[in-house]
Amino acid sequence: MASNADQFKQSFREEAREILVDLEAALLELNENAGDRELVGRVFRGLHTIKGSGAMFGFEDLATFTHNLETAFDDVRNGRLEINSELIDLTLAALDQIKAMLEEGGGGAALADPAACAEILTKVRRLTGVTASEPAGEKASPKTAAATAGPVREWSIHFAPGPDLMLNGTNPLLLLRELRQLGGLSVKASMAAVPPLAELDPERCYVAWEMVLATAASRDAIRDVFIFVEDHCELSIELAAGSEVDPAANAAAADATARALDEQRAQGGGRRTYDKPDNATSLRVPAAKLDQFVDLVGELVTVQARLSELAARRDDPEIAEVSEEIERLTSSLRENSMNIRMLPIRATFEKFRRLVHDLARDLGKDVELTIEGADTELDKTVIDQLSDPLMHLIRNSMDHGIEPRDRRAARGKRPTATIHLSARHSGASVLIGVSDDGAGIDAEAVRSRAVEKGLVAGDAQLTESETFALLFEPGFSTAKQVTDVSGRGVGMDVVRQRVDSLRGTIDVASVPGTGTSVTLRLPLTLAIIDGLLVSVGDACFVLPLANTLECIELTRADVERANGKHVANVRGVIVPYIRLREHFNIRTPRPEIEQIMLVETEGGRYGFVVDRVLGDCQTVIKNLGRFYRHVQVVSGATILGNGTVALILDPERLAADAVRLGRQGFHGHTAGHPVVGGASRMGHGGKRESSQTNAA
Amino acid sequence: MAITLAESEALSAIGLEETVDISSAAELKALLVKALGAGQEVRVSLEGAAYLDVTAIQLLWAAEREARSAGVGFALEGPIPERVSAALLDAGFDRFPVPECAR
Repeated sequence: MASNADQFKQSFREEAREILVDLEAALLELNENAGDRELVGRVFRGLHTIKGSGAMFGFEDLATFTHNLETAFDDVRNGRLEINSELIDLTLAALDQIKAMLEEGGGGAALADPAACAEILTKVRRLTGVTASEPAGEKASPKTAAATAGPVREWSIHFAPGPDLMLNGTNPLLLLRELRQLGGLSVKASMAAVPPLAELDPERCYVAWEMVLATAASRDAIRDVFIFVEDHCELSIELAAGSEVDPAANAAAADATARALDEQRAQGGGRRTYDKPDNATSLRVPAAKLDQFVDLVGELVTVQARLSELAARRDDPEIAEVSEEIERLTSSLRENSMNIRMLPIRATFEKFRRLVHDLARDLGKDVELTIEGADTELDKTVIDQLSDPLMHLIRNSMDHGIEPRDRRAARGKRPTATIHLSARHSGASVLIGVSDDGAGIDAEAVRSRAVEKGLVAGDAQLTESETFALLFEPGFSTAKQVTDVSGRGVGMDVVRQRVDSLRGTIDVASVPGTGTSVTLRLPLTLAIIDGLLVSVGDACFVLPLANTLECIELTRADVERANGKHVANVRGVIVPYIRLREHFNIRTPRPEIEQIMLVETEGGRYGFVVDRVLGDCQTVIKNLGRFYRHVQVVSGATILGNGTVALILDPERLAADAVRLGRQGFHGHTAGHPVVGGASRMGHGGKRESSQTNAA
Repeated sequence: MAITLAESEALSAIGLEETVDISSAAELKALLVKALGAGQEVRVSLEGAAYLDVTAIQLLWAAEREARSAGVGFALEGPIPERVSAALLDAGFDRFPVPECAR
């Protein structure tokens, strides 16, 4: 079990990571709006918080390193230094090192690069005018310089930590150390409040300190040392007897710090900006606990299905009533637990601003990143796995899609290119788009390269979509040269593998000279979905409810009227259908009246013909494992109430597969898959309405 | 961090090693209570200690006070590492708040 100290450190790491994300965004914005004082303040406060909290939680190297950056932004804030792209790039590089230092604190190997850190510090000091002889490892606040400018006076300081100060992760001895940076400090610890051993709370600090500090710092600068603990301690800072105040001299020294402090407070600055925005309404929970919670809800859903099955079999109204109540509660619990896991994609999108900024600089291109639909929510598991594919797509766009400045100018395009990231919901899926206004994809070049690599026959007739799909083949690249950014043909393969593992699809559209758009269609969640249970022969399947539109009957007479073609006339609209019996080679006689489940897919409306519709069900998605990883039309399996397993169908892929297998249309198509499995039929009654179909 | 208690007929010996801070404070308190409960002389060794935070210091101080009022011996045994004593001075303790054994 992690100790309290470890937990505090972990909390600090999580908090610091969030601040780093915000800092990165602020710096990139500052790059565009150098005069924005609010952004400068935001960067300063972020650095100040990381430094202050870092020192408190024992990340001393990190605090020291960050201190130098904080000094630079304090100078910017006070008009002593101007923002320029060098400072922004240095600070961005420094954030990478801070990130590495945070991970090191987690017990990993040394991740930060000491040589890179030293180089960053040298350059930052050159910008701020701090000489190399000044201590690099100084841990004082940036206010030290201003604080030491005035006359030295003695301050009497009384500091008595409150009951919960240490429980918040604060080490009072580190505060004394920070205070010592302001000047000569004499300290006397008082043990007067320490109770008898039996009554002593071992995690509370009973020691109080009486101190005399000889410093030129103002009262506010001294108080700033305690800024994070002010609400959790007794603190008094008084001028010592005989230590006169010279208002004029004091003003010079204190002015800068007081202004900074006021500004910080006015803007809700300091640590509070980050960790206490809405204490009353939010709670930080480790992702692993949340995963465990959702797993348990999944188990509950499975048990609830067994109870429903039992209730239906016993035909006991009392059990049925309890079962229905449990079903209702389980459904609410499932919905709530899934909602907890849903996160907006904003943070994932925003972090690519840095990538675009760095790549644009390295490639000598002007590129802006635009974002749309950042508030679109999807499952945390999906979000976690989305970063890599998006990174590869963006790198590819930046390197190969977007033309160099001169070529854009020659084509009459805007000098600044655009990469557009978008997200939107579409049924049970989310569509993530990465598009650029670059040169587009040369389909013929892709085709030639594929023929050259033996991926397709020289005389193969490929649709545009099939041609573009070749881009995602392992090792495929049309790049004439490999660069640091891309061209090895690895990235797109990674994109496909990751999207496959998420049971998603990739769609590429491109117009030569105008740009390329890649759309990833991903499931909203990988855990539990609402499904519709259907049966074919003895096998049960689940269709995602979000895709299904309605259920209609299909009689033998309907089939005859359609001359054996697999199409149905649904209120005047011709809809092709796929017989699951044929597609999965299920060799049982078909009933007189079958059911067509109408589903909406990206490729249009399709019908899936089944024997019976058994009803709605909450479906806990279980992975089929590596053995079935190539079975694309099935997105997983679920355990039914009677303990048997039903396969969850992927309507998008099923329809695409049927189209692929029966290029001549759906009629007469029997080239199905081997039987991939199924479950014994459950005793649920169908709940959805049926309507008659008109034969085509 | 490691806190050990070795009891013999006439002595309870507590050893503190590495970092002793709030994460081990409850354990240290329990050992001190147990050692004092045995009613025999208590010796604390800091030889292997790298850092003591204020929770450890106040526990040792309270234990020593209790032992003294009960007429039980309570003392530090062996040298105090330089890092520990320097940190204590910085924290405003003129000397370690528990007497050292006569050597």
